[in-house]
Amino acid sequence: MTVKAIFDAVINLDEETVKNQTQAALDAGTDVNTILNEGLIGAMDEVGELFSAGDLFVPEMLMAAEAMKAGLAILKPFLAEGQSRSKGIVVIGTVKGDLHDIGKNLVSMMMEGAGFEVIDLGVDVSTEDFLKTAEEKNAQVIALSALLTTTMPSMESTIKAVKEAGLGIRTIIGGAPVTQTFADQIGADGFSSDAPGAVKLVKQLLA
Amino acid sequence: MFNRALINFDKSILNQIHVRSLELLSDCGVRFFSEKAVEIFRTRGFRVSGQTVFFKEKDIVDALQTVPSQFTIKARNPEKNICIGGGDYMMAPGYGPPFMIETSGEMRNATLKDVHTFCKLVQTSKYLDFNSSIVVQPNDVAAETAHLDILLATILLTDKPIMGSTSSEIAARDSLKLAEIIWGNTSDPLMISLVDSLSPLQYSEESAESLIVYATAGQPVIVHSSCSMGSTGPITIAGSLVVSNATTLAGICLSQLINPGTPIVYGLGGSPTEMRTGGYVNASPEDVKHTAIVTALGRYYGIPCRSQGALTESFCLDYQAGMESAMMMTTAALSGADVSLHTCGTYGSMLAMSFEKFIADEDLCGALKKLMKPVEFSEEAFAMDLIKELGTTGNYLMQKHTVKRCRTEFYEPALSTRAIHTKWQQMEPREMDKRAGQILENRLLDYKEPDIDPQLERDLKTFIDQRKERMSGVS
Repeated sequence: MTVKAIFDAVINLDEETVKNQTQAALDAGTDVNTILNEGLIGAMDEVGELFSAGDLFVPEMLMAAEAMKAGLAILKPFLAEGQSRSKGIVVIGTVKGDLHDIGKNLVSMMMEGAGFEVIDLGVDVSTEDFLKTAEEKNAQVIALSALLTTTMPSMESTIKAVKEAGLGIRTIIGGAPVTQTFADQIGADGFSSDAPGAVKLVKQLLA
Repeated sequence: MFNRALINFDKSILNQIHVRSLELLSDCGVRFFSEKAVEIFRTRGFRVSGQTVFFKEKDIVDALQTVPSQFTIKARNPEKNICIGGGDYMMAPGYGPPFMIETSGEMRNATLKDVHTFCKLVQTSKYLDFNSSIVVQPNDVAAETAHLDILLATILLTDKPIMGSTSSEIAARDSLKLAEIIWGNTSDPLMISLVDSLSPLQYSEESAESLIVYATAGQPVIVHSSCSMGSTGPITIAGSLVVSNATTLAGICLSQLINPGTPIVYGLGGSPTEMRTGGYVNASPEDVKHTAIVTALGRYYGIPCRSQGALTESFCLDYQAGMESAMMMTTAALSGADVSLHTCGTYGSMLAMSFEKFIADEDLCGALKKLMKPVEFSEEAFAMDLIKELGTTGNYLMQKHTVKRCRTEFYEPALSTRAIHTKWQQMEPREMDKRAGQILENRLLDYKEPDIDPQLERDLKTFIDQRKERMSGVS
């Protein structure tokens, strides 16, 4: 019942109820993995589906992700005890020379909502910073965002450097001018045109 | 109040149109192919020669003084009553086409089933305000009783206001009788009807006598005159305006002589004659200029005005159809029209209707209704606290202010695409007419017949049956 209430509260963008119900579930002794996977992450999977279908709007998806994160914060001390792990580590950022971050933030929020650990480097991120952080954090995926056609070449140089580093880190790209053709051309491991698609893509790459 | 009269004309030009119209009314007069109409003028002391009636300035000025500036028409569902002249732009679908155009481009005769389908679309429309009395002219029912079939459909399948028929004096009386069955004997506006003149400077018997019937009952009438410029009126806009205005003023004068205070919607139009063929051409820049000027004249006279709707010469859902329809309707909306017919579904010189064009035009109607809404300048809308809080780095997408308004602040079209290229490529079907067809299918599936008192429904049907029996007996 309570896990369902958490799920519903995320869908209803109701942060307070998510927090209250998450605490109540913990107090009642509900398994932390159940709360996380069936309540919070399950709800964000549904949010992603609703968004992809056009039934949920961007601000609502973001509010749902915020609500989910509020519940996650309550679970975190228990997760640290090893009862649950993140589904993977993703380093994300907007490439060098580009200051646009709305799309990147959407992907970041949705990845967190899906249970990934996301290290968001912000905007105007250099190849060196992407690589250094990914290496330090043992990231499996680097996600690159660009809005400008003039900054798209930065994606290519970063991907080239990642491959040369030989760490086995996968790269995915996205942004308004970016296409699957461009992704293939520069050797990216994946491309998505929207945030839920990026989450699915990372799940596939790490499966 | 939000001022929609964005296109204005120098009052001295409007004065000139008015004065020259009076000159025509006095020197040429207007011909009424109706002895009843001529007799009304004769008994009021107007100069009459044969069927032609001559007007003095005072006759017109007196008539204009008694026309109300606004009025409300009842709907079967009172929540759907419409106020005309109150600042809103009231929209009705196509009026009069005898044909339907399929997505294949084939043209066929319209049927009563098409009328029913259009009624269902009107009922489920978020943007259309009232019914047409001839959304199409059905070919599969007897012409002399078609008005009964259409009226019954608009009354039973929708609960929005209806239009009365003006196909004959009898049809006008039948329309009033049906309204009386619903609302009882009242002089409240229960419908609106379109009285179209002939051009130049004439009224047919049916039009004049329908006008007499409706004015006697105090029921609202759109008095409309239109020239085909260069054939049934002068080739110039100035000349066309004077001829049409004089004709419309004569009709308004008749209505107010019969029943001072009869609600009127003032209307005139003008379309070019296609000089290569002699045909009639809609949705030209010249039509658009008429649309803008007629609204200015309506305000000049203090009478609600009608403009043309989403007209086009195209026969398919192409760029031309969209461009012409949008040009016509946007001008009407921004220049302050109170009423338009033909706002949804019309193709090629108003000769054909299409379900897919109806769906596409609804997107335009919705966009214009949104466009006409005043911009909100409340404290909450200015959002100063939020702007200051976020400063130069904020992301408004994540704010409650945005979430609260994200479903209502912007217009959302039903048919037009806003997808990115990848998604657009994946759309199935991608063509606009096919997507409109899908929306049409869903709308018809979702349609529910509005509630009606079973006894009232029986009474309406009994009246229709009796009238049909009697009329077939007569013929």
